[in-house]
Amino acid sequence: MSERILVAIAAALASLIVGLLLFWHPDPGASSEPASPLPSGGDFTLQSADGPVSLPDYRGRVVLIYFGYTFCPDICPTTLNDIQRALALLSPAEREKVGVLFVSLDPARDTPAHMKTYLAFFDPAWRGVTGTAEQLAEVAKRYGVTYVVQPPHGETSDYVVDHSAETYIVGPAGRLRARMAYGTPPEQIAALVRQYFD
Amino acid sequence: MKKKLSLIFSLLAVSTAAFAGSADDVTVSDPYVRQAPPNASASAAFMVLRNTGAGEAKLIGASNTASKVSELHTHINDNGVMRMRQVAEIVIPAHGETRLQPGGFHVMMIGLKAPLNEGETVPFTLNFADGSSKTLTLKVLRMMPAGGMPMSGGGMQHQHGQH
Repeated sequence: MSERILVAIAAALASLIVGLLLFWHPDPGASSEPASPLPSGGDFTLQSADGPVSLPDYRGRVVLIYFGYTFCPDICPTTLNDIQRALALLSPAEREKVGVLFVSLDPARDTPAHMKTYLAFFDPAWRGVTGTAEQLAEVAKRYGVTYVVQPPHGETSDYVVDHSAETYIVGPAGRLRARMAYGTPPEQIAALVRQYFD
Repeated sequence: MKKKLSLIFSLLAVSTAAFAGSADDVTVSDPYVRQAPPNASASAAFMVLRNTGAGEAKLIGASNTASKVSELHTHINDNGVMRMRQVAEIVIPAHGETRLQPGGFHVMMIGLKAPLNEGETVPFTLNFADGSSKTLTLKVLRMMPAGGMPMSGGGMQHQHGQH
């Protein structure tokens, strides 16, 4: 009798070990995410060149959200380029399940039409959205995005915008799932996107 | 004719030597201009600067024909917030190198006069603190991954001892 119990316990332990080996995958992107907890995120509606875009429009898809501005000569195009490379690593069927939103924090210069042309350089399916200063501040706060418009300097009236350079991953149910640091390699972005498909 | 040409070349060589300074000590590798989207108003140039000299060299300015303004910039990564700032100089230590690369030092090209197309070349002049300058031709390349360098070298370079 007691022998049977021992065998049953041994079998249960063995299956637990096998199960862990088979199904327990430590998060491969954990190292690229800041240790701080994720912000609340949540739904928003902002303006694109083709009308309003709401985050709920993307239910069922993984959404990559980047907050930036098109005057940005380096950090923003570098990140958009990394996202482009990451999506190229996915299969066409997987790519259909991914949306990309570029939220401009510089509505004074970035009109929706300007952003549409700018983003088409990367992928015509990506949406550029922006809003009033108040709308942007509200969305940025929920996503933990810090940004400061700097005063113009030098010979021109141009100015730069300091901004958080992370890319956000929203899952198919609309929940904020991950925040990727600037410079996250395309392979890692692709792996994270796959991880959040369902 | 051949003699005349060789005379001109040797005179050029002498003139460069006469103004020996940072422009001669600093060699440039992998220079390129990042191809920006067609309606972008700004882009950036990147390169690796190597100083073969015994004293430090300071890059204090640049100019190019594709944008109205060229400024030396860096990025300060403040807890994930990227703050881009103009810098007065970029120091290349003696017998050392300084990289102008995505996410860090770069020449910001402000007010692009026309869309940058891949494969085009942009003449650049680099100005050093000792008054010497260097002229380069940079190729326009499509963007590279963060921190990465282009697959092929960006172009030719030649030196001037202009003041």
